[in-house]
Amino acid sequence: MLKFESVSRVYDDGTKAVDNVSLHIRPGEFCVLLGPSGAGKSTLMNMVNGVVEPSEGSVTLGGLLLNKKNLSTIQRRIGMIHQQLHLVPRLSVLHNVLAGKLPEVGFWRSLIKSFPLRDQKRACQLLDEVGLEEKHLHRRASAMSGGQQQRVAIARAFISSPEVVLADEPVASLDPAMSRSVLNSLKTSAKTHGATVICTLHQLDYALEFADRIIALRQGEIFFDGKPSELDESIQTQLYNLEKPQVNIEELVAA
Amino acid sequence: MNSQMKREKHWQDWEVHRAITPKSIAIAFVLFILLSISAHNTEIDKAAVETSKAVLSVVGIGESQVLDGAVRFGTKAFPIQISERTPVNRLNDFDRNDLPLFAYIEMGEERDYDALTNTWTTEKMEFLVEPLGYLQKVLVKMWETIEMGFWGTVISIMISLPLGILASRNYAPYRSVYTVARGWLSLHRAMPELIVALFLVLMFGFGPIAGVLALAIHTSGVLGKFFADEIENAPPGPQQALGSSGAGALKVLRYAVFPHVYPAWIAYVQYIFERNIRTATVLGIVGAGGIGMELKGRWDLFDYDHVATILLIIFLTVVVLEYFSQKLRNHAL
Repeated sequence: MLKFESVSRVYDDGTKAVDNVSLHIRPGEFCVLLGPSGAGKSTLMNMVNGVVEPSEGSVTLGGLLLNKKNLSTIQRRIGMIHQQLHLVPRLSVLHNVLAGKLPEVGFWRSLIKSFPLRDQKRACQLLDEVGLEEKHLHRRASAMSGGQQQRVAIARAFISSPEVVLADEPVASLDPAMSRSVLNSLKTSAKTHGATVICTLHQLDYALEFADRIIALRQGEIFFDGKPSELDESIQTQLYNLEKPQVNIEELVAA
Repeated sequence: MNSQMKREKHWQDWEVHRAITPKSIAIAFVLFILLSISAHNTEIDKAAVETSKAVLSVVGIGESQVLDGAVRFGTKAFPIQISERTPVNRLNDFDRNDLPLFAYIEMGEERDYDALTNTWTTEKMEFLVEPLGYLQKVLVKMWETIEMGFWGTVISIMISLPLGILASRNYAPYRSVYTVARGWLSLHRAMPELIVALFLVLMFGFGPIAGVLALAIHTSGVLGKFFADEIENAPPGPQQALGSSGAGALKVLRYAVFPHVYPAWIAYVQYIFERNIRTATVLGIVGAGGIGMELKGRWDLFDYDHVATILLIIFLTVVVLEYFSQKLRNHAL
């Protein structure tokens, strides 16, 4: 499905964000990319939708090589969910979702916001799936809470019937209960529509709970790749480079 | 250990901020000299003297040329003239039995200057007086002025919208297009309406076309720059999100940029519209249509009572427009 073949990315200032990574992600998998900040999670993900170009190696989606020529074709097969939501605040919820369908709407129709009824109904279906109601449909995105906005973003990612959905820290700004329910929506939608999900997270417990497969990165290299059950504690401590605390906190508290 | 040996300066020796230094005094002195020279060049000193003289003269001390001028205008301007007075013998289709509404006939005198004999002659004749005739004429002219401002703004938007998009760094297709569009907008901004209107009157003749185009050319430069700056400052996140899903630049502009910049644009357009109406009142002075033409004509004939009517109408229009504009702004945003 989605293949990374020995991809590397060196930024202009010389930092090696991704170093010789090869990955094969199978259809329908819910993959979680784990790793400390600066491990190259976002860079790896942004290589799929063409925001970041690999310095070396290649990315293929369903046999189609990602290059300048194929970029727009591949972009249409991908849905994105961003950390900072990136909804348009002054646009209604409905139109925010429909914006994901823009590449397929004619320019003059898009100019007067005249979307096909079929697309509009599909947007309603998706919003219903993520737990929003009709009363939210014509509200501005800025009038919604953080969790609701993230649901709108999920609906937007799925409206173009993508094969792959990329979610860049989708729950970074939400409280734990909300995070869990948003991730749940994401996973349910992905299963319903048969989409592959690549999701970066930095909360280990969510990864263990939701992922089919965990890929952990450290300093641009793959550090662990496998099922959540295989991720034992020693790997967890190494991953975040946690040294054993020299003073036990419990002792400190007791003292 | 090393850090302990290299002891830091004691806090009492730290360099602190001093507001007044010999340098700042010297700079202030030089600035004062330069400003004084500039003020003298622009006769600000004379203005101060004349104004104080005028104030003293109001109280009854001395004489003032400023006050004399004001009094000369004031005595002729009030009461303001709102009626139209036309000699009957100059009217082509005059019917004594079918006068316009509220109009009446009045006997009067007209003084005439004979340049050959250098004498004034007085002639008795009949006048047709329409009590609100002049007011009506001014209101018609004022409406024409508002229309000029409106169309000037509309054409200005039509020029500045595409230019503004091309002049925003993130939506110009090439760097060179950006430079040319920015330059073009600066050129439009750099051409004052009155001077453009002078040329356009030569090309299109007297009338509102010249005025409308002059307004459009100048203000499109201003609006285009506003538009471009707003586009450049729009948050990049939503644009990136739509762009990376494969939507084209114009669609991203429509869905991720326009909803964000729309309120600011409305405010700018409203300001430009108001400004265009104010400017359109002046453009008539060079013959570019609107109420200014009437103003200039009456001013040159020393008909200050008519001038006062015009000024009053302009003033009232501007106040009323600003009131409605404010209401609209509160409603829209």
